[in-house]
Amino acid sequence: MDDDYYSIDSILAENQKIQCTFKVDIPDLGHLDGGHERDIKALSKIQLPLWMTYILIFSDYADFTVPAPFSSRVKNALNAECKSVRLSALVGAGASWYAFGKIVMRLLAQDAARDMGAVLTTAFRERLLEVIDQAQHFAALGHIGGAGQSNDTAAAFREGLDATERELFALAQDSARSTKQWYESTDRGRR
Amino acid sequence: MALPPSLRVSFSPQELELIACEELVEIIPLIAMEKTAFISGAYGPLRPPNKAKVPLWMAMNLKLKKKCHIVAPDWLSVEYLQDKLLQETNAEGFSALPLRFAEMSKVLLDVAAEDIPNSDKVRSLLKDIREVRQAKSRDGLKKIDHIELSLANLCAMEINEIRPFYTRAMDVLTHLARSPIADV
Repeated sequence: MDDDYYSIDSILAENQKIQCTFKVDIPDLGHLDGGHERDIKALSKIQLPLWMTYILIFSDYADFTVPAPFSSRVKNALNAECKSVRLSALVGAGASWYAFGKIVMRLLAQDAARDMGAVLTTAFRERLLEVIDQAQHFAALGHIGGAGQSNDTAAAFREGLDATERELFALAQDSARSTKQWYESTDRGRR
Repeated sequence: MALPPSLRVSFSPQELELIACEELVEIIPLIAMEKTAFISGAYGPLRPPNKAKVPLWMAMNLKLKKKCHIVAPDWLSVEYLQDKLLQETNAEGFSALPLRFAEMSKVLLDVAAEDIPNSDKVRSLLKDIREVRQAKSRDGLKKIDHIELSLANLCAMEINEIRPFYTRAMDVLTHLARSPIADV
């Protein structure tokens, strides 16, 4: 999520690919598209990782389309019910939808970026409560094996957590568990 | 960093208990002891039927050796806690309790339950208060944004429990809400 040069999360987030449309011919770089052509022709569409697109987009060599995880279809789904959208399915396992979104937001023009920021923030805030509730519920169960009769919606929500939310889930679960253990511990045997 | 993530941002409950053990409590000693210097200060003298003020760790130690009775603090009584529970359920915010009440009451009920009048009732009242307060801090999560979250009168143990994920969530919100202009 952060911009630190050494942050592995940020490197992974920049590895997501977006579709770029080139505006000019670029000779000898056809291998970027899998190596069938020698040159990149203007108006050809190529999937490129985000870290490579900054310079292309800001120097006006290429345009990009807003990637599928942030399409209006997903936005509508988030508006309807945040908690039933599977963010992990949108960006692939282990990736962060929020970190990806943050980078795309940076590439967008001002108004579009503000809208996108609002979508990300609302989604995060509305899902946060459910993340923490479930984390504390699991901490209270004591051991993870005992989650037999949890209902399907909750399980589906957990599967749909993206990397950022997973991290929060783990933090909340750890602290709730250690506090619970402390409350149940005793010093009576000590002398 | 070599520390596990959970220890980087907050204390462990055991560390908080250690800190709380520096708080003074009243005891009725069963042994005599001259005024003695410890690293944290000089305590004593202990002269049996007279009460003395010593830190909680010392009281705990003496109690476990059956060398004193602990006098329950004012706030660890059924009336006081019932009053607080009522405030807690009726009022919006958190009621004012001693900062380290969770740690101290846990230690006292653990080692000196027989010295606290109505200890079972006290225990269940503390549990109720804790649950009401937890529900309130959960409501606070709805109001979280990237600038601040103010939950007055939260006690040390409660802050410590929510600190790791509240700070992380606010950190994420800061990144998401930052205006793109500021980035360039």
